[in-house]
Amino acid sequence: MSVVDSAVERVADSPVVSKDDLPLLLVLPGLFVFLAFMLFPVLYLVYLSFTNAEPATLFQGKEQWVGLANYVTVLSDGQFWNSMGVTWLFVATSVALKVLVGLGIGLVVTGERVRGKRFMRALIIIPLGLPGIFTITIWRGIFSSAEFGLANQFLRMAGLDSIAWLSERWMAFLAYNVTEAWLAYPFMVIITVSALQDVSEELHEAAMIDGAGFFARFLHVTLPSIKRPVLFASILTAAASFQQFLIPYVFNQGGPSRTNELLIVYGYREAFRFQKYGEGAAIMLVAVAVIGVFMMLNVKKGQLADGVDDA
Amino acid sequence: MSVISDIASELADDARAAVMAPVESVKDAKYTLEGIREGRVSPATVLKTAGITLGAAVVVALLLFPLYWVAVGAFSGTGASLYSSSGIRLWPADPTIEPFLWVIGDLIVPSYRISLGLGGYEVFLQTPELTFLDVSQYGVTETSEFKRFFANSLTVAIPTVLLAMCLIVPSAYALSRRQFIGRSKVLYGYVLFTQIGGGLGVALLIALYALFVQFGFNDSKLALSAYYAATAVPFNTWLLKTYMDGIPVSYEEAAMIDGAPSWKIVTEIILPLSKAGLATVFIFTFLTGWTEFVVAQTLLSTDNYTLPVGLYSLVGRYSIPWARFSAFALTFAAPIMLIYLFAQRYIEGGLSFGGMEG
Repeated sequence: MSVVDSAVERVADSPVVSKDDLPLLLVLPGLFVFLAFMLFPVLYLVYLSFTNAEPATLFQGKEQWVGLANYVTVLSDGQFWNSMGVTWLFVATSVALKVLVGLGIGLVVTGERVRGKRFMRALIIIPLGLPGIFTITIWRGIFSSAEFGLANQFLRMAGLDSIAWLSERWMAFLAYNVTEAWLAYPFMVIITVSALQDVSEELHEAAMIDGAGFFARFLHVTLPSIKRPVLFASILTAAASFQQFLIPYVFNQGGPSRTNELLIVYGYREAFRFQKYGEGAAIMLVAVAVIGVFMMLNVKKGQLADGVDDA
Repeated sequence: MSVISDIASELADDARAAVMAPVESVKDAKYTLEGIREGRVSPATVLKTAGITLGAAVVVALLLFPLYWVAVGAFSGTGASLYSSSGIRLWPADPTIEPFLWVIGDLIVPSYRISLGLGGYEVFLQTPELTFLDVSQYGVTETSEFKRFFANSLTVAIPTVLLAMCLIVPSAYALSRRQFIGRSKVLYGYVLFTQIGGGLGVALLIALYALFVQFGFNDSKLALSAYYAATAVPFNTWLLKTYMDGIPVSYEEAAMIDGAPSWKIVTEIILPLSKAGLATVFIFTFLTGWTEFVVAQTLLSTDNYTLPVGLYSLVGRYSIPWARFSAFALTFAAPIMLIYLFAQRYIEGGLSFGGMEG
């Protein structure tokens, strides 16, 4: 609190700035620090993407300007297009899974006949509070390729053969999806539940009087009323899926043999594993541009920044 | 201080409610049973409710099963691994807290010898050795580096919180209550970053690493805290601003008519009334530094590893020692889990801000 006091006092006493824009001084420190650690690295990343920087050259100050060469190399690399494809596939499958799971759980914990709903909701969003690295390493254990990982134990209980989850391409991809869904479901549930609670009770009663069953009511009353918030949540969670790094990195470094490298993992590995900072920077910038355009379209279309105006 | 004591009393209420919940539900059940006996409630309805509730409870249990599995693993000891060949264990075969002892290690304050020069005389002071926990008594000889990681995490997280609060609170107040040039641009930028910023950290890692090395900041925990504070600014400023928006302006107007200076309005009205928001922001900024992994792993050397990096370094070895890993992971995550459980209503409130009410 004392910080605010002194800042406000200092601002009030200062004769230099014009009175109307005094509050700007309260915002500037935060903005400055933020830009120093975000905007400046972005600019530097742009610069790096035009050079042949490697650890050996960069830290001697001997990196050379190579123009668009990195972008040409990257965009003509099959590995890049594979990553791009896998990333969008991952976005599609994981978002679909997350919306389904979120809706399902949301319906369960708002069910009319369920007792102890508040307690269940409190329990269910626990994973939201867990550090990502904790959750993901746990899930790596679950999908352990060994005979006795938890996923394989379930398979065996069902009388099936065990699977080498992380060394088969699509099995690893499936494991990413399941883990991503588990990571994101608390967020989806929170939004779905708050949307479900806003669904008008009268509409439901009216539909019931008209003889609509549970599914008819879900389809014609519930779904239309929660469509917007759920759409909003899926756009946000799509961005999260696109930028997923930790799951593939911790599971099997985007393997087997680089087939599941999501874009960010691909860029990270080019830079830090294969020491190509320039190419890595180019990949990251392409990824940022793609997600930027994707989000911009969604912000425009879905009016995500509505809150700014009603302040 | 009143802010903290208010939060504490709310937490106490929560804890009381949590403890009393079973008692309340027993009361409920008794009431229902009486209802059935007296014929006020039909048994079929009760059965249906019980069945559906049971179904919901099974869903909840399945969702949280991975966490339970880890807990079982942590109590299983080194010998009995989670990887039992006899199917899934719901209870450790031979419960032991040995993995936790391995994680925490000795808690011994060594004795210090303090010498004071007093005019030609020298006085020696020998502090006693304080033993809280000596794990070698329990047959645990080697221990984890948890304490070192913990200390590292604290030295990263505390400066992060201090710096972030200094940056966030004034901005949030100004954005909520004042008009100035560029206000809506700053807000718009913050919101946009909040929604796409998550992965930008990894995308920028190459540049960040190169810059930190060139400035000689790599392996500096303070520089890492500054970075965390910077990344925490947009979301938390926006969050606190929306809290402050909810405080009626009429309070301030009343104070202003009574002649209160504007700094006094801030300390006497705005800050006390936004304590829930302040608590949320405090927790969020603390957890930013406490849980971040990728950047910390890239920038810090082995000696300065924070807890998340330390946790991952256990996995990095050729095979994961599951019992120890689980105990380590739980010791790391359990306090965070508790904080979240109690702070949940604030977080839920915070997440439903802005455009979410479609």
